[in-house]
Amino acid sequence: MSKPSSAGFQPASEVEQQAGSLRYRLILEASDVHKTYLSGERRLEVLHGVSISVHEGESVSIRGESGSGKSTLLHLLAGLDAPDTGTVKWEGSLDTGAGRRARFLGMVFQSFYLIPELDALGNVLMAARVAGKVGATEKQRAKDLLARVGLAEREHHLPSQLSGGERQRVAVARALMNSPRLILADEPTGNLDEKTGDSIIDLLLGLCAEQQIALVLVTHNAAHATRAGRSVFMRDGLLQ
Amino acid sequence: MPWYLYLALKQLFPTGKRLSFFTAISILGVALGVATLIVTNSVMGGFGYEIRRMIIDTQGDVQIRARGLIDQAEPLIETVSKVPGVLGVTPFAEGVGMLEYGRKPAFPIIQGVDVNRVNDVIPLNRFIRVGSLDELDDDTVILSTQLAYSLGAHLGGKVTISSPLLIERLKNDEVFLPRELTIVGLFEIGHQQLDSNTVLVTLRRMQDLYGLGDAVHGLNVRISEKLDADQMATRINAALPDEPESRARSWLEANTEFLFVLQMEKNLVSILLLFIILVASFSIMSSLLTTVVRKTREIGLLGALGGSSRQIAACFCVQGFLIGLIGTATGLCLGFGFLALRNEILLLFTKLTGSQEALERFYQFSNVPAHMERADLVLIVVGTIVISTLAGIFPAWRASRLKPVEALRNE
Repeated sequence: MSKPSSAGFQPASEVEQQAGSLRYRLILEASDVHKTYLSGERRLEVLHGVSISVHEGESVSIRGESGSGKSTLLHLLAGLDAPDTGTVKWEGSLDTGAGRRARFLGMVFQSFYLIPELDALGNVLMAARVAGKVGATEKQRAKDLLARVGLAEREHHLPSQLSGGERQRVAVARALMNSPRLILADEPTGNLDEKTGDSIIDLLLGLCAEQQIALVLVTHNAAHATRAGRSVFMRDGLLQ
Repeated sequence: MPWYLYLALKQLFPTGKRLSFFTAISILGVALGVATLIVTNSVMGGFGYEIRRMIIDTQGDVQIRARGLIDQAEPLIETVSKVPGVLGVTPFAEGVGMLEYGRKPAFPIIQGVDVNRVNDVIPLNRFIRVGSLDELDDDTVILSTQLAYSLGAHLGGKVTISSPLLIERLKNDEVFLPRELTIVGLFEIGHQQLDSNTVLVTLRRMQDLYGLGDAVHGLNVRISEKLDADQMATRINAALPDEPESRARSWLEANTEFLFVLQMEKNLVSILLLFIILVASFSIMSSLLTTVVRKTREIGLLGALGGSSRQIAACFCVQGFLIGLIGTATGLCLGFGFLALRNEILLLFTKLTGSQEALERFYQFSNVPAHMERADLVLIVVGTIVISTLAGIFPAWRASRLKPVEALRNE
């Protein structure tokens, strides 16, 4: 299904679009976001007024050189940090707090960030625990997700007993656990070999498309970036 | 179960892994502290309890003494017996005498007891090891076990007893012949000093030995267990006649300074031992701080998953609490296990060091007593858990102040 194209750097109000009779809900909207860090006594402006919007089921890749501000933007989009100026809205709401994050957002990181004391199933279920509900339904969903990422036989393996690719699959399943509206993936293939990385991208794009989840993928890999529905490039704190 | 409690449990006791070294050390530190406190508190409490019990068992709850002798004991006994709460009254006379058995002399404390009434106040029957109190009459004597052992005396043997009255009579060119008495029993109270240096005779024999006539040195009074000894002493004093000039004192008042020293000693040792718990709490804090540093990225992840700062703090606080709880439980098992085997352990220790005799001589008890007040136990348990939980607060605060974005940037 083709997704509506939206100008990555236009204000959200201008990018709400319709495609035929289908109206795609605006999931993520960042408008004129600025972010400055203090590096010693020097002020370092990382983002110079970034605007981006992502619709339901849409996949957007962000490429850029190291230090261009990709990860900073991702953290702002995730509500983990606040912009100096500008706004980040989730489904039109400015509430990007921890309470809402658990259900709205899933994140995948370069270093997987699995909890070493928990097995694969426990790690996937952790997302549900933080969201406040773990019952038989959630346990079954976690098992289904592990089966979906090809780890049905390894649900009781600890992270230390899994390969890098398998760990990232667990992280993908965890990101999907609470049926989020949006997944933010920060260099998810950065620590994987090419073949494994390709399979992870396949998995992410496939599952997001299947479940109508919006995806923002930060990557260095041009091939992976082009596989997203829309690709933007970041340079010196600006989206191009 | 809230996720922070679940994660705290999993971090302390990971699935399919051994207990982490840091956790084990922290728990062990708390356990040793609690065990030491339990053992020391119990043993010191036991000594105190035994001494209190012995005072009551040998003197009664209240003792009445006159400025001099009590010449007319019976009217006084009748008056005191009528005071509500008084269960029994028995007269006594006591003093030092010279005892000889087979040319072996000893200078024991001679206790003259009214055989018909003494058991109403002092449970002498309970302490008789050989023979019977019923056989005690004016021509017989009951020796304490260790005195009999040191003299080589046995049941049916004869001892001669004389008192300071012998010298008094000699001054007047009179002869006071020592009394020959037959040993009809041996008693053991469990107090080294009393067991090695006391003999029991009838009150009449003691009055004869000391030339007291019908007079006695005092009265021992037993009161109902539920009543306060000090209050009863006041009540008895109010009932005592003006003549003879006598005064009732509770066992607590009679031994105030001694009991104060006992309590002070116990408190001081407990305070000193509390430092073990404090040291253990620093071990918990250090271990949890290390965990916070080690798990910075995971803390960031929990924030990214939607965990709040307060929940992340709770995760570490709970770990401090759980270490305290498990450490305390382990310490209680260790402490009470040690107490259960204390006499065997002490026996082994004294055998190895050859110090059994010295121990009995200095500490008055042949067995190590143990007595734990419920309030002390509650204080140790609650105090340790609170201190351990407090030790988790600083690491928890550090963890809660970590911004997810900064924690994740550690990547």
